Amino acid sequence: MQRLITKQDLVNKLTELLKDFEVVGPKELSNKGIFYQVIEDAKELYLGQDFAIEPIKKFFLEPSSWILRHAKDDVSLESFPQSDKKRIVIGARPCEAKGLALLDKLFDSEYKDDFYINNRKRTIVVGLACAKPDMSCFCTSMQGSPAETSGMDALIFESGDGFIIELVTDKAKHILGSIGEDIKEDQKLNKDKMKALVKKVIKTPESLDKVFESDYWDEVSRPCISCGVCTFLCPTCHCFDLVDEEKKRMRCYDGCSFPDFTLEASGVNPRPTKKERYRQRVFHKFDYFKKNFGENLCVGCGRCIRHCPVKIDIADIVDKAPI
Amino acid sequence: MIDQIKTKAKELLKTKKVDIVIGYKKASDRIGAIPAFIDKEGDIDKLIWDGYCVYNLSNYLKDFPGKKIGIVTKGCDAKSMTVLLQENQLKREDIFIIGIECSGIVDEKRKGGDIAYDERCKGCKPATPPIYDVLIKEEEKKQAPRLEQDPYESVRKLETKSIEEKFKFWQDEFSRCIRCYACRQICPLCYCPRCVAEQTQPAWFSKAVSVEGNFSWNVNRAMHLAGRCIDCGECERACPAGIPLRDINKKIEKDVKELFSYEAGVDTEQKPLFSSFDKNDPEDFIK
Repeated sequence: MQRLITKQDLVNKLTELLKDFEVVGPKELSNKGIFYQVIEDAKELYLGQDFAIEPIKKFFLEPSSWILRHAKDDVSLESFPQSDKKRIVIGARPCEAKGLALLDKLFDSEYKDDFYINNRKRTIVVGLACAKPDMSCFCTSMQGSPAETSGMDALIFESGDGFIIELVTDKAKHILGSIGEDIKEDQKLNKDKMKALVKKVIKTPESLDKVFESDYWDEVSRPCISCGVCTFLCPTCHCFDLVDEEKKRMRCYDGCSFPDFTLEASGVNPRPTKKERYRQRVFHKFDYFKKNFGENLCVGCGRCIRHCPVKIDIADIVDKAPI
Repeated sequence: MIDQIKTKAKELLKTKKVDIVIGYKKASDRIGAIPAFIDKEGDIDKLIWDGYCVYNLSNYLKDFPGKKIGIVTKGCDAKSMTVLLQENQLKREDIFIIGIECSGIVDEKRKGGDIAYDERCKGCKPATPPIYDVLIKEEEKKQAPRLEQDPYESVRKLETKSIEEKFKFWQDEFSRCIRCYACRQICPLCYCPRCVAEQTQPAWFSKAVSVEGNFSWNVNRAMHLAGRCIDCGECERACPAGIPLRDINKKIEKDVKELFSYEAGVDTEQKPLFSSFDKNDPEDFIK
């Protein structure tokens, strides 16, 4: 179901929703870039085409969150209370929302992660279609597109002075179905056409098994500085560490690029060099996850390429893997 | 210029003077550069030199223990090698420095696509590496004009703020820190085998992305570089959150200069600030 809305319609609706909902959306911080933050006033929203540095993941799988604490008796443990406030995320990109759909496969399937599921359940995701993918974007090679709705409740497209809103789920129809006006058949968007906006196209092999032992990984991982930019900014990377601080247990982001990630108490590290660590990142995304869940654990958002301090390009590396 | 770099690299590999040459090659986007590790003569033609060669390659020296390394080195990068030599992290005979008289590098984060020299290059003079084995000079006409700019301009501006204002300023900046440790990993002088941030018994500060954790991390990082940081600016460039890390580094650099008349990275014979003592050192800050 598509409807035509003006910018003012959107601002008015969000202002109304701010009474009952926590609203999260992109904000532009001068000289710093775009960041998803909790919005106090609908006018603060940035709905331009520049991408946020961090993906929307951080509102579902938080960079650090308390999960367990000592109960009042100081002996037993109890889950950390979670917020049940209704939330609306606006302006998340199709790739980031697809990242949520992939995380659902992991955190809401055989194993149920209460914290992630709670965050998903209390949130409506309204995406923003991409009119200007950049040179790092390769979503179409990851079964995505600038107008993909997977993982979303609704998607808005820039159209003239206003937007077209596509309502995907009943939840979105219920809350946002009343704004704007019905769309005429000839005003509807040709979503397939938008795919051509993405210029970076790569091929991904069915399996990387054959090249596990290749020297290729040594060569491509040499520039890597073992920081956490690629994993922390990735909409699908989900590895975490558990840390106890002040009678509370926290989980916080961790990443396979850090040498400490696989360091064992004995002092042995099964992934001792950048070669093994970088290979793990590529294999998890383009081999293991695919074998377990049928899809690449990558949405082609390009963040790890755009923000890598030494310009390592995972898409190029997978594309050129010596299969 | 690039021809001279290639000729030297070829000679070094051919004569087995070095096992590997660290330089720059084109990145996959065909605009930027990526560090290149050349160990075969046949790969030498991949080497490039232009304003996009932003990385301080001395960070990679630790990746090749026991090997002889040829390294393409800008003025600021050579300063960090000087510190590594002072701190016994390198053997001078293991490295062959292909010094570049750099004319400034590009500010990659600048929007709009116009090429501008990076902020960190503006106060840099001279651009000639303090140590080198061969010096390759930029053609005179290509050299960027050196601006007579106060290198501490932005530090002085921050110094005029009240304690509360400073706290507010840094709290805002650090609130965006995601603890990816890119600032540490890109730094040639952050070479501790186990960083204070990773220690858990005891845990010196919170791992949480919080005011406390983020303040502790960022201040600790900067303090561990006191009297050592040579302002290559790589931490600030690597930071995905746009935190002005150079302002903290520069503040400490300025204090060290004013208190101890010490400047890091200019002289290999000079002792590191924290392992030298002079009875005339000021001590009025000890209360």
